[in-house]
Amino acid sequence: MAGPMETSSHDVLLVGGGGAGLRAAIAVAEMNPGLSIAVASKVYPMRSHTVSAEGGAAAVIKPEDSLDDHAYDTISGGDWLCDQDAVEAFVREAPEEMLRLEHWGCPWSREKDGRIAVRPFGGMKIERTWFAADKTGFHMLHTLYQTSLKYPTVTMHDEWFVTRLLVDEGRCQGVVAIELATGKVHAILAKAVILCTGGCGKVFHFTTNANIKTGDGMAFAYRAGVPLKDMEFVQYHPTGLPFTGILITEATRSEGGWLLNKDGYRYLQDYDLGKPEPKPVKRSMELGPRDRLSQAFVKEVEKGRTTETPHGQVVHLDIRHLGGKLIEAKLPFVRELCLKYENLDPVEELIPVRPVVHYKMGGVHTDIHGATPLPGLYAAGEVACVSINGANRLGSNSLTELLVFGARAGKAASRFAAAQPRSTRGVLVQAMDEEHRLHREFLEKTGGGERVSVLRTEMQQAMESGAGIYRDESGLRKSADKIQELQDRFKNVSLDDRSRTFNTELVACLELSNMLDLAGAIIQSGLQRRESRGAHQRTDHPERDDANLLAHSLAFRTETGPPRIEHLPVTITRWPPGERVYGR
Amino acid sequence: MSREATLRVYRGDRNGGEMIDYRVPVSPGMVVLDAIRSIQFHQSPDIGVRWNCKAGKCGSCGAEVNGRPRLMCMDRMDRYSPGEPIVVRPMKSFPIVKDLVNDVSWNFQVNKKIPAFKMRSDMERRFSQEEADRVQEFRKCIECFLCQNVCHVLRDHDLKPAFGGPRFLVRVAGLEMHPLDGEDRTELLRKDLGIGYCNITKCCTEVCPESIHITDNAIIPLKERLVDRFYDPLALLWRKVTGKR
Repeated sequence: MAGPMETSSHDVLLVGGGGAGLRAAIAVAEMNPGLSIAVASKVYPMRSHTVSAEGGAAAVIKPEDSLDDHAYDTISGGDWLCDQDAVEAFVREAPEEMLRLEHWGCPWSREKDGRIAVRPFGGMKIERTWFAADKTGFHMLHTLYQTSLKYPTVTMHDEWFVTRLLVDEGRCQGVVAIELATGKVHAILAKAVILCTGGCGKVFHFTTNANIKTGDGMAFAYRAGVPLKDMEFVQYHPTGLPFTGILITEATRSEGGWLLNKDGYRYLQDYDLGKPEPKPVKRSMELGPRDRLSQAFVKEVEKGRTTETPHGQVVHLDIRHLGGKLIEAKLPFVRELCLKYENLDPVEELIPVRPVVHYKMGGVHTDIHGATPLPGLYAAGEVACVSINGANRLGSNSLTELLVFGARAGKAASRFAAAQPRSTRGVLVQAMDEEHRLHREFLEKTGGGERVSVLRTEMQQAMESGAGIYRDESGLRKSADKIQELQDRFKNVSLDDRSRTFNTELVACLELSNMLDLAGAIIQSGLQRRESRGAHQRTDHPERDDANLLAHSLAFRTETGPPRIEHLPVTITRWPPGERVYGR
Repeated sequence: MSREATLRVYRGDRNGGEMIDYRVPVSPGMVVLDAIRSIQFHQSPDIGVRWNCKAGKCGSCGAEVNGRPRLMCMDRMDRYSPGEPIVVRPMKSFPIVKDLVNDVSWNFQVNKKIPAFKMRSDMERRFSQEEADRVQEFRKCIECFLCQNVCHVLRDHDLKPAFGGPRFLVRVAGLEMHPLDGEDRTELLRKDLGIGYCNITKCCTEVCPESIHITDNAIIPLKERLVDRFYDPLALLWRKVTGKR
């Protein structure tokens, strides 16, 4: 380790270069061209996981639709755990944000009359999901990336891996990051930091999420004393391919696909989700909310009505009746995936599917402007929990969330940064300590013997068994103990790769330490929520408990042992808690 | 089924390296990327490789497998004959950082030269799905840079920076053919991106994992526009007379 640490200073720093990060960067640049902006991403921005999103992004556009309808669908979809003031702001700002993307060149698919097209989606009463073929997230991300390049005040730090936040005198003042190509450790000082690092699906074994989804930003905030909200709410998407976990988009069902059990029966009709009709009916059957569909799968397994495969139990998604022409036009990517990864053609065969971990409703606690309780620290996108998704997210709300809250957080952070003094001395000391820590605990350590890959697999299996679709006290406790054991064993981890150049093992190791913290928060929040709501289902507490638990879980990190859990009441404005009704 | 395969992988950096053989157990449905990760997990944790989505969407894992540029996550192991070693090398046209990781930063420099989308103010924002399809095809590009890697102008003749490469010709096509775009990038094509260097060999189209018809749908129409603008004497005369673009 030679020479003084490389330091740079900016006004606003984005950690993460996906949809939320790039939208926020653009918002800062447009609001205040005098501010200097940096985006630090551990991968090239267009590799961010936003790129995988297929189905669409929701915003009210049809004349027969209304903001109140979108709000109600979202709130009931979230089993009343959504903060209604946040939802109202979200549905109001959504159409404008989506239209702005058209002005930036995003090629939204069209209706026959040449206007922007919308399709129906799960849990939504009226069609409001905008789409660009079946690669909506992809087109949005590329549009945002190219637009962000127009601003000379934005500096991109591609393949820089952030390891911690710098916090001094009660405010966040930047980060420490490793430049992966060279291994050089940098301190990036900033007057405001916006976390846009996405979710943490890789904490689980079977997930649609890409390798990078390790929840780094959540862990950084958590360690800086910011609570993580609603971590127990993990979304299982009902239709993932069995071995790879690759997602088969909800659009397959909104175009008319059916879910069949091993007897060829559309089993969702047994679960209070409506009656089967030949054409898709909104908010009914296959267009019900994701949590209810995934839960139905588990029940079918218990009844012995699913099909055994070498990669676990599956049901089948049937799109044969849609015909080859429609599939090629509306679902070409689905067909390609099935041919490439399952060696089957969905035009003629059934697609095997099962629920797969997909999205994190929970995350860093923020207000409706994206501000966390720590001054100078903001968060937007899947990493944050505002909360607009509550206990269960509706499909196509997430892509819109990136735009609305990316913009909000960007604007709030700009205002804050413009009023801040210079950074304090304390942060440079912290940065140097971090560099020493990385060397001492990882790059130069001798002894140890625990392997990153082994610990990671054990963590993923513990989460899969204890924090699945249905949970109970003993399962959660067992996993909690396992996670604690893994945290202890992590202290003895040793790396084989000690080089500075592109050290992927070091990155995997730091990501693992982030994930272990998050795993603990998920389990403990789940233990303390003794009710069933949305995606968190307790077989030992099967009813929703509005009297005591119409509240968010806040997980605060403690020095040793499990996090401390507090509860924060949900903000209710115009929609008092009601029954979630689908199919009737 | 305990079948094994041999992967012969490049280990080294820009100063040099060697090919090392690894025996890897093979199971049904495995792709080359799974094999590389198996090596990373069990045998050699310091192997350098970029990968992420494992679903052919993020463009991270481009490499050359038995000489062909491919995404490793889309390359099934059962395509290869059981007895033969599978040779995995980094992309040839870009400097090597470590093992299978290339320095692809030059591509981002080229991208900066291309003016962004500019919304036209003289028409209503309505166009057909057919027009959307045309642009959606080009914009499907996941920036894996396999086309840049394989194009002989860059690969063998090393004509950076005079030639921007197929990826950027596709990007320009996605902008120029967008019905709502009002910017003109024809001069850029001629001078900065050197579209004249392309001689329609179509290797780019062959390796594109998104099956974008790069040459036929993007490059040839752009070449035609260029010719119309700069090299067609009748068109030049017409424009002088009528004052139209």
